[in-house]
Amino acid sequence: MDISIIPHPQGVTEISVSGRLNMVTAARVREAIQSAVDDNRPRVAITLEQVVFLDSSGLGALIAGMKTAREAGGDVRLVKPTEQVELVLELTNMAGVLRSFDSVESAYADA
Amino acid sequence: MVTRTLRLTAPPHTVDTVHDLLDSVWASVPDLSARDRMSLETAIIELTANVIQHANHGRGVQATLTVIAYKDRLEATLSDSGEVDHVDLEGREMPEAESLAESGRGIPLMRALVDTVEHRRVDGFNHWTLVRGREAQDVDRSSTRGMPSVSITGVIDEMARQRALEELGILDTSPEERFDRVTRLAKSLFGVQSAAINLIDGDRQWAKSVAGDAVVEMPRESSVCTDTIMGDDTLVVPELTADPAYADRAQDGLINFYAGHPLYASTGERIGAFCIYDPRPRAFTEREQAMLRDLASWVQQELSVSQELSRAAEVQQGLLPSKMLSMPGWDIAGFCQPARAVGGDFYDWYPVGEGAAITLADTMGKGIAAAIIAATVRAVLRSAARFGDVTGAVNLAAASLNADLDTTGLFVTLFHARVDMDSGEVTFVDAGHGLTVIARTDGTIERLRSHSPPLGVDIDTEWEEQTITLEPGDTLVAASDGVLDLYDGSLDGLDRVAALALLASSSQEVVDALRTRARGTSSDDVTVVVVRRDD
Repeated sequence: MDISIIPHPQGVTEISVSGRLNMVTAARVREAIQSAVDDNRPRVAITLEQVVFLDSSGLGALIAGMKTAREAGGDVRLVKPTEQVELVLELTNMAGVLRSFDSVESAYADA
Repeated sequence: MVTRTLRLTAPPHTVDTVHDLLDSVWASVPDLSARDRMSLETAIIELTANVIQHANHGRGVQATLTVIAYKDRLEATLSDSGEVDHVDLEGREMPEAESLAESGRGIPLMRALVDTVEHRRVDGFNHWTLVRGREAQDVDRSSTRGMPSVSITGVIDEMARQRALEELGILDTSPEERFDRVTRLAKSLFGVQSAAINLIDGDRQWAKSVAGDAVVEMPRESSVCTDTIMGDDTLVVPELTADPAYADRAQDGLINFYAGHPLYASTGERIGAFCIYDPRPRAFTEREQAMLRDLASWVQQELSVSQELSRAAEVQQGLLPSKMLSMPGWDIAGFCQPARAVGGDFYDWYPVGEGAAITLADTMGKGIAAAIIAATVRAVLRSAARFGDVTGAVNLAAASLNADLDTTGLFVTLFHARVDMDSGEVTFVDAGHGLTVIARTDGTIERLRSHSPPLGVDIDTEWEEQTITLEPGDTLVAASDGVLDLYDGSLDGLDRVAALALLASSSQEVVDALRTRARGTSSDDVTVVVVRRDD
């Protein structure tokens, strides 16, 4: 799995993830979100276009990151989830909470 | 049908290992829908992650995962060694989304992704089965004929089958004439291109014997014999390409006709098949089937010989002293590794008076004949030892063995000693053995000479008794000639062993070092006894 952190305008931080987001890699995603929050940039967009696999451990990391971000006045929003990621979000009923968007810009268009 | 099996040990393996296995399954099932693929993959990863995370309180876990893609469904079974005190598959509900719980979603997610989840605990293993029906396909149910469904019983049967096969100790061994003559005969008798003795090992088929163009190893999914072992009857497929169940296993120029009969382990498991095949379709008469069965039962008998040999080996190992001698101030260890399943070497020790009797013997020859004589020598010496001194015991043993040795034309070299635990005096008879050495604490090495012929050579031999004394720190090593072969084959090897004894801090250390050296390389029986008097 690869992670890159890309700053966007209006304090939005894009975390672009590729590969598998499972129990092996979950902690790194969690840390990436935490570091954005620590940098006082809690508005996080996670680009999942290149994520081939998400499991409940990976989902747990996203939820944990979202709680941290929300406590700091931000959020975690998903960008371009793949079919498998959508499947997991649907079946765990998390699609309404961890919302998905087509781009980093549209993810925070409401702000 | 596509089958893949993975044995996994976590750590170091992780769920990524499982992803890699699944990638190879998906690559082999191109018509699988994305939804089915994603669902089963996610479910399997959730299950594996759960097993890895929770089993054995972090002490690690071993598991075997099998994934089978049928035309109409996907099945995955995972058998793991984890200790699960309480498995609550039904009771776990998906946490509320708004609760933002970070865990607890794995098991409910897994259940949502497949049609059935089963868990059973048998023989200290957890067996999990996940089944997902495939999205509408052109289902050709005939193709699953004779294939085992991976129900839990199926998995347990398969594990028993695999264990029986492994216990036979025949996998990946060299060709043997006693099997090859049967396949050769079958090939010419039936006028076919190939004959083979195939064993079904995990996800492959391996042939102990092949005649003609028969293939030694192939994936189980391409094997016809894997169907033969599903039942007790002869399986005949006159024309593979004409039968939808076998069409995909036909190979141009190799196999389009098949006839095979199952082969069994002594415990009844079907471990493989004796089969013939040919690129030309043909009929196979009742009479021919009867002949094939006869040849299969011949192979069966040869397999039983293999199995009996391995049991004989267990019996022979059981004759070696299993207990340490409790002799204060002394440290004694030994080992015996036959070149074949059984051998003519043995060592022995037991308490006698204020000390112990120590024996190391080497019967000329190897294999079963030598083993039978070795067992007799051991028994006779043990009973004779009760009635006399060292010479008396050897005389008695030699007298009672002479007739047997004469008949069989074998002879036995022998080192038999009594150790007095207080004085350190060692009284011994060396009957043509001459492979005993003493490593003194000052660094000198003494070879003990043999002045007498082996047992079975000359009936009128007077056995000459010798005496030496082991001072504190001294070590006596008695070896068989197989030990010399671990070095350059000359007597110098004995000095090397003595030097090893000087450096070692216990008798067991010497034994372990030689055992390591002997591993897999010995063409002769390797036996050694090490007697050390504590400093």
